[in-house]
Amino acid sequence: MNVNNDSATPVHRFRGVAAAMLADQGMLLVLVLLCAFFSVVTLDEQTPAGAEAARQLAASLPEELAEGGRLLVVAGRGGDEDAFAASLAEQAAAAGWQVVAVSQGGPREARGALEELAAGQAADVIACSSSAGAWGVFDGLGKRLPALAEARVLRPEPSRWPNFLKTTNLLNVANQIAVIAIVAIGMTLVILTGGIDLSVGSLIALSSVAGARMIRDVCGGQEAGLAGMLAGAAAGVVVCGVAGLLSGGVVTLFGIPPFIATLAMMLVASGSAYILAAGQSINQVPDAFVWLGRGADLGGIPNAVVLMLVLYGLAHIVMSRTTFGRYVYAVGGNAEAARLSGVPVQRVVLAVYLLCGLLAGLGGIVMASQLKSGAPTYGQMYELYVIAAVVVGGTSLSGGEGQVLGTLVGALIIAVIQNGMNLTGVESYTQKVVLGLVILAAVLLDRLRSRRG
Amino acid sequence: MRGISKQYPGVKALDGVDLTLGRGEVLALMGENGAGKSTLMKVLGGAVRPDAGVIRIDGQPQAMLSPLAARAAGVAVIYQEFNLVPALSAQENIFLGLERATAGFVRAGEERRQAVELLARTGVEVPPGVPCRRLTVAQQQAVEIAKALAVDAKVIVMDEPTATLTPQEVQKLFAVIADLTRQGIGVIYVSHRLDEIEAIADRVQVLRDGQSVACRTAAEMPRRELIELMVGRSLEEEFPKRQRAIGQPRLVVRGLCRGTAVRDVSFEVRAGEIVALAGLVGAGRTETVRLIFGADRADAGTIELDGRRLSIRSPRDAIAAGICLLTEDRKHQGLVLSQSVLHNFGLPNAAHFARGSWAGGGWIDRGRERRAFAGYAESLRIRANAADRPVGTLSGGNQQKVVLAKWLQSASEVLVFDEPTRGIDVGAKVEIYGLMNDLAARGKAVLMVSSELPEVLGMADRILVMHEGRITGEISDPATASQADILSLAIR
Amino acid sequence: MKGKHDMRGTILATVAMLTACVLGCGGEAEKQAAGSKGTIGVSVLTMTNPFFKTIADTITAEAAANGYATTITSGEFDVAKQQNQVKDFIVAGCSAIVLCPCDSRSIGPAIEEANAAGIPVFTADIACLAEGVDVVSHIASDNLGGGRLAAEAMIEALGDGGGEVVVLDFKQAESCILRVQGFKEVLEQHNTDHPDAVISIVAELPGDGKKDQGFKCTEDALQAHANLAGIFAINDPSALGARAALEKAGKADDVVIVGFDGQLDGRQAILEGKIYADPVQFPDRIAAMTVDSIVRYFAGDEVATQQLIPCELYRQAEAEADESLK
Repeated sequence: MNVNNDSATPVHRFRGVAAAMLADQGMLLVLVLLCAFFSVVTLDEQTPAGAEAARQLAASLPEELAEGGRLLVVAGRGGDEDAFAASLAEQAAAAGWQVVAVSQGGPREARGALEELAAGQAADVIACSSSAGAWGVFDGLGKRLPALAEARVLRPEPSRWPNFLKTTNLLNVANQIAVIAIVAIGMTLVILTGGIDLSVGSLIALSSVAGARMIRDVCGGQEAGLAGMLAGAAAGVVVCGVAGLLSGGVVTLFGIPPFIATLAMMLVASGSAYILAAGQSINQVPDAFVWLGRGADLGGIPNAVVLMLVLYGLAHIVMSRTTFGRYVYAVGGNAEAARLSGVPVQRVVLAVYLLCGLLAGLGGIVMASQLKSGAPTYGQMYELYVIAAVVVGGTSLSGGEGQVLGTLVGALIIAVIQNGMNLTGVESYTQKVVLGLVILAAVLLDRLRSRRG
Repeated sequence: MRGISKQYPGVKALDGVDLTLGRGEVLALMGENGAGKSTLMKVLGGAVRPDAGVIRIDGQPQAMLSPLAARAAGVAVIYQEFNLVPALSAQENIFLGLERATAGFVRAGEERRQAVELLARTGVEVPPGVPCRRLTVAQQQAVEIAKALAVDAKVIVMDEPTATLTPQEVQKLFAVIADLTRQGIGVIYVSHRLDEIEAIADRVQVLRDGQSVACRTAAEMPRRELIELMVGRSLEEEFPKRQRAIGQPRLVVRGLCRGTAVRDVSFEVRAGEIVALAGLVGAGRTETVRLIFGADRADAGTIELDGRRLSIRSPRDAIAAGICLLTEDRKHQGLVLSQSVLHNFGLPNAAHFARGSWAGGGWIDRGRERRAFAGYAESLRIRANAADRPVGTLSGGNQQKVVLAKWLQSASEVLVFDEPTRGIDVGAKVEIYGLMNDLAARGKAVLMVSSELPEVLGMADRILVMHEGRITGEISDPATASQADILSLAIR
Repeated sequence: MKGKHDMRGTILATVAMLTACVLGCGGEAEKQAAGSKGTIGVSVLTMTNPFFKTIADTITAEAAANGYATTITSGEFDVAKQQNQVKDFIVAGCSAIVLCPCDSRSIGPAIEEANAAGIPVFTADIACLAEGVDVVSHIASDNLGGGRLAAEAMIEALGDGGGEVVVLDFKQAESCILRVQGFKEVLEQHNTDHPDAVISIVAELPGDGKKDQGFKCTEDALQAHANLAGIFAINDPSALGARAALEKAGKADDVVIVGFDGQLDGRQAILEGKIYADPVQFPDRIAAMTVDSIVRYFAGDEVATQQLIPCELYRQAEAEADESLK
């Protein structure tokens, strides 16, 4: 592409580069466009929370309340709400207002506090956190409790910002796709060799169940320590590794098409998961088990996302810098030529299915951790989402062409579409239609690109 | 054809080419790979739309917008890789797209009659009902010709029709072509084989860099001048000479067997010697060298290198022992076309460029790999800036050089060339011959398989002729031998 | 080159526009005009079952009447997907969340997150059994009572003769376990009171609440128990599957079927005499009660942690009077 452009004018050269960018990074562009689109669509009123909300209210209070005025603080439960209540009470006291009561809890507690105030000393201003401000307790307050008819209800002022671009949401997107993205690394390798692995969805379930059972039956259930949890995770991953090895073995030794071999493994793994779990979900795992799926130790980035990024980094290096990576591409591009160049084709294929199984197992453990339990119903249809991520990421189903990082982009595209549609309230049927169209568009793009090549 | 031009991204494939073909005339279209022959043919066949120019047939301008339109206009193109559906019979292939049918039901009997008639005109015996994948190459070619006849083609274009034919089959094909011209059909004949051009062409047109550089009757075009026109510079000898310094036996093969394809083959190749395996297609030459390389498993036999007995069970073993094979089919067996030149170059040498070993594959020192390749790119005159391009985008000659480079890097002691110059233009051929000589001069053992007898006679120090899996004779002094000597051993 | 470049651009633009269009339309249709009081996020088990569709639709209507907007999603049996939907509700700042959990236990972490964000969670039809999470109220049919009604219908249908009965169950769902439990309680009582007309449960087979599975299980049951007199299926699809198997075996008149739910198909079958009776559930009442609970909760009223909506028995007589079947 864009070689021999020496004779071209600068304009032509620019167009050549632009076309190349579009072909090579087309999906990245699509991702950016999608993000921009959802940012616009999900523009919404945002209400400040926690100490920030308290600061805002405290700043507006002097207009409403004379020195020594009586103030009721109402907030809900939980971290942000606690911070709001504590911070506001402190600032109010510092400014010389009288905090007559701080009500924390649900609407019921708030109502109790209101009734108590109405019976007693009343209040001039009721300062609510954003979530408490939406409660119905304050509707028609004057009628129900005439003693509080004079009281003004203050809520933090909302500002406008896209729901999509909130930090919590962006981390959500990454966290939601972590399982699929991790499994998709293995799938990328398999597809690069010209194969396919349909069993990954079932392996996710199998891994979650095997891991959870290991923890429940061997490592002491809810009292299991770190070693126990690691043993459980290892059990899930290893079981899936063995399954991957079996698939790979059947493919290489007997020449069974990967589609058939892994279809069989999909049924075997799913059935095994149901047997192991006796059809139930297993949730006798320690609370600390959710560390991987829900913890966020590195600057607020969820641990599952960190794991995903590290794995992608590793996979990219392995695929671009090691002989193994070269071999994978060569086997997919032309197995016979690779064999005659001395590439151990069978071993490479075997290793690729093994890796795919291991990564599916890891995905299952992450999912079990996110859901704090293992169940045979996990991962249904995930093989299709995983394959979609790989294909959208630009990897050719006929093998030999594609990039691991492309798969990450593909997975993110799927996650952004799902998240964006959830945020805008598109129901699930329409979501499927849109997702289908996107996959189609991706393959079209791939086809156009290969026609150019 | 007048003023045909076609611009591809970055390349002007055709630049105002004129071409005239008389009724019943054979026009040989010559040129190096990349000269524009294929593009010109594709334009004729309607597979590619020209940017400029007109095509007239019997004075009528033709649009030629699609392969179907070209066929309807009376132009049939027979590509090197045939356009046949392997699972369908000869008869079904001939009438593919123009089935003799009533209301959707094929009138098989009528098709059968016409197919037999058309196939008879090609002079090759072809069973019309057998799936094409079970036919020989010559038979498949006959089916293609019959396909052209079925549409009353006025012009038939043949691309390298003899590339995979045996000498008798070639003779038969020439007879068919003569027959076609008698029927008033014009034939455009594309080939690299100069002998054939002399044998059948009425006129020769030479293309170079997308332009027509000469068009004369065959008689006015001596061979040497023709080559120089194609290459655009004067050449030395077609088969470069070298000093011979033959030493000790290096590769010794004893009693090699595999099924009926290879039966008790024994020979040796000495240091500094080029040995050629000659014979007809299917005589067991390729099968033999595949056994030596471990691409297939031998039933029996031993292979020794420098007196050491080798146990070769896979190409990996062979490569480790210092044996390499340049396969006859570059595209399917020699190269991973979608991958870059550099990656192909590094494939058998990955371990060599790797630092340490980790999970079955070490880290590749990419800088070292690139520097090593740059050295070969220069010495082998591989096109500059090729390293990062998909190898499939290079010309046949450059592809073959990449294959050569990767085996040279892997420090092979025994180099087996299977059809080393197939599909390669004249200029690159001479360079490859030079390299083979050079390798022999450095004391390597060189074994070549070739169907081109002039090449065998010109290059080999010793010729082994095979027939039906056996070595049936040896010509130890090729300089005094003739093609007939080889053929008599090859046919029996 | 130029042409292809342009074509790709066109395709991209088309896809983008299509996406925008679909999102735009979908967004309009689903997200009801924002009420003044906030948005209720709803994630049901599946939208392919009319029962949950009715719940979702009724919640939307009732919520609008009370000044709330709704966002309706469906987990489609995938609890991980449902968890993501809950996370999205939290991000979108929903006031309250209503769930029909895809898995009674695995939904726990999602509810925990909603708790941490201070958003009240209500469950409808399917309870959350995870420990340590805070669900304001669970609103569901009285499945135990419904099971008892089913047993009464079975006793009524088999008359004084008694006989062998097969249960098509679905052990993964708590609600279905309760139905079978209620069914057994009443039968046991009946058997002690009437030793001459004993109704014995000869098999409990996994009908999975699906038509095809119900069909297979019934075929097998007919092979094993030639004298089968009755079948209790825990929902309508499996009951209809059982009916199909009976018709195939030519035993449609010999075996009585009691179903559960009272969905349109089921009620139609009751009208035609294919199913003897259904204890019917009222998804609309469940949904209305759920919205009512949310309103009461925000008003600071006491809301019971479990609110059961009684089932009612529905026989051919009721079907004939049913306007919706005409």
